[in-house]
Amino acid sequence: MTPDPLNRLVAQLAKLPGIGEKTAQRLAFHILRAPGEYAAELSQAIREVKEKVHLCTRCFSLTDTELCGFCRDSKRDERTLCVVETFADLMALERTREFKGRYHVLHGVLSPLDGVGPEQLRIKELLERLGDGRVEELILATNPDVEGEATALYLTRLLKPMGLRVSRIAQGLPMGGDLEYADQATLAKALSARREL
Amino acid sequence: MRLLSLQVRDFRNLSQVSLAPSEHATIAVGQNGQGKTNLLEALYLLATLKPLRAGRLSELVRWGTQSARVVGRFLLKGAEREIAVEVGGGVRQAFVDGKKAASLEDYFGGVSVVAFTPDDLEVVKGGPDARRTFLDRAVFNRFPAYLKESREYGRALKNRNRLLRAGPVEPAYLEAYDETLARAGARVYVRRRALMAELGPRARATFEAIGRTPEPAAYGYHPAHLGEVDFATADEATLAGALREALATRTRRDGERGFTSVGPHVDDVTVTLGKRSARAYASQGQQRALVLGWKIAEIENLEAALGFLPLLLLDDVSSELDPERNAYLMNYLSASGAQVFLTTTDGSLVRGAAAEDSLWLGVRAGEVTSAGAVLESSSV
Ligand SMILES: Nc1ncnc2c1ncn2[C@@H]1O[C@H](COP(=O)(O)OP(=O)(O)OP(=O)(O)O)[C@@H](O)[C@H]1O
Ligand SMILES: [Mg+2]
Ligand SMILES: [Zn+2]
Repeated sequence: MTPDPLNRLVAQLAKLPGIGEKTAQRLAFHILRAPGEYAAELSQAIREVKEKVHLCTRCFSLTDTELCGFCRDSKRDERTLCVVETFADLMALERTREFKGRYHVLHGVLSPLDGVGPEQLRIKELLERLGDGRVEELILATNPDVEGEATALYLTRLLKPMGLRVSRIAQGLPMGGDLEYADQATLAKALSARREL
Repeated sequence: MRLLSLQVRDFRNLSQVSLAPSEHATIAVGQNGQGKTNLLEALYLLATLKPLRAGRLSELVRWGTQSARVVGRFLLKGAEREIAVEVGGGVRQAFVDGKKAASLEDYFGGVSVVAFTPDDLEVVKGGPDARRTFLDRAVFNRFPAYLKESREYGRALKNRNRLLRAGPVEPAYLEAYDETLARAGARVYVRRRALMAELGPRARATFEAIGRTPEPAAYGYHPAHLGEVDFATADEATLAGALREALATRTRRDGERGFTSVGPHVDDVTVTLGKRSARAYASQGQQRALVLGWKIAEIENLEAALGFLPLLLLDDVSSELDPERNAYLMNYLSASGAQVFLTTTDGSLVRGAAAEDSLWLGVRAGEVTSAGAVLESSSV
């Protein structure tokens, strides 16, 4: 008979994505046997992430202060705004260290099939944010799938009349990615969008 | 491309089959309901990962068992590859040389198959849905990217229909989906047009060669309700623009019906004989000859595009053709040099496609045995 507290931990861990019952058991034993304060620190970290991390009131990325680091950083160019679907997409763009503007996280895409319309996304907040006239250019970095495209087109329809420059990130083959491994539809698109050298 | 060996386990009524097909004709003979079509269906799944007959994947698993498995060793571009497909729990998984194959596309590039069934023979007189499926199968075979492209169109269409049914929405929202649908739809138009441009003339010539009908045949694809645009020459962006316009003018009506009434999903393939609709006027024999012309053209066209012949699966087609047209088909098959799998209830119907090196199989209650001794005195 395994003790109930252990069973409870296994049950909670097994709810995590990508974690099966066996892995949950291994993790639980690991936590149990880990030396020092590990278990206490882990539980505190878990509690704090819930208590302290919330959405930035301006760009809706994640933060533990009122405004996130991107919004507070005065070295970032406030004239350029990059619109992304999720915080994970924002992180991916950040890893390039290329983009020096600000962000806006929509928290999803327009998807009638999933019951997500403009009201479910942070679109109203985006428009309000643009009211102060400081943003000049928007980069729409939603994913190149059906819903991502539709969302970008929708935003374009709202933003263009406001006199803003609106651009869409380019799509095609990943750099360094082998042609060999690209799917045929992506390759076909890349072929038809070829450019002269 | 050649199939060197085939193993089937618990697929429909086939509990265990293992065979080394002929380089040319492999002929499965058996009474009704014994498992002949099931054998072809297993092969079709292996080559395309799609079911041949409509329905759910779970239907493919033999009753009382958990999973079905089909394995084939192929000679592809000089290399031997083992391709396997497992179906179980409502999903299917492909393996190439024992490794899970991540995407369908890797897989599609190598193996190519054309299936020909009695249902196909009815396609001229049947409904537009069947004709679109018939057309799209040919487009998938010719342009592997079409699989993903047509799925994108389907997804955009479902989204737009849902939006229409949701009642009045902000115009910009609907327009955004109109534009997305129009772009995806233009891609489908361009693919279908490209296929028909290659296939149409070939099919017409083949139909003429099949003979006995003096009027010329024509095979065409013309999108419905697309307005003034010159479909034959317009570029993709122009087609997208025309479709967007057509969507916009129909918004109200579509909204009332909750259904998008223009786009590739409502188009039809037109087949005419002497400029008249074959569906309305051609005899049954002529209609079947028209399909035969198309199918042979499809095979020839793929050979020209791929540089090798696709695998051919013919399910009981001979019994539905009159003797003369059947003879034409059998002669074509044996002259083409293609690797072909035929099923029939009557071996004599397909003798014209057979040769010394044919493999004759007997199919009975899900058991497949080499029937060489019975049907072909010279071999075994
Ligand atoms: N999942 C399954 N498990 C077991 N048996 C099945 C399954 N699906 C279909 N069958 C059986 O397979 C048989 C049909 O096989 P198939 O369609 O290959 O016949 P056939 O030899 O092509 O006959 P015909 O000449 O009439 O076309 C039927 O008896 C049916 O009950
Ligand atoms: Mg059958
Ligand atoms: Zn912020």
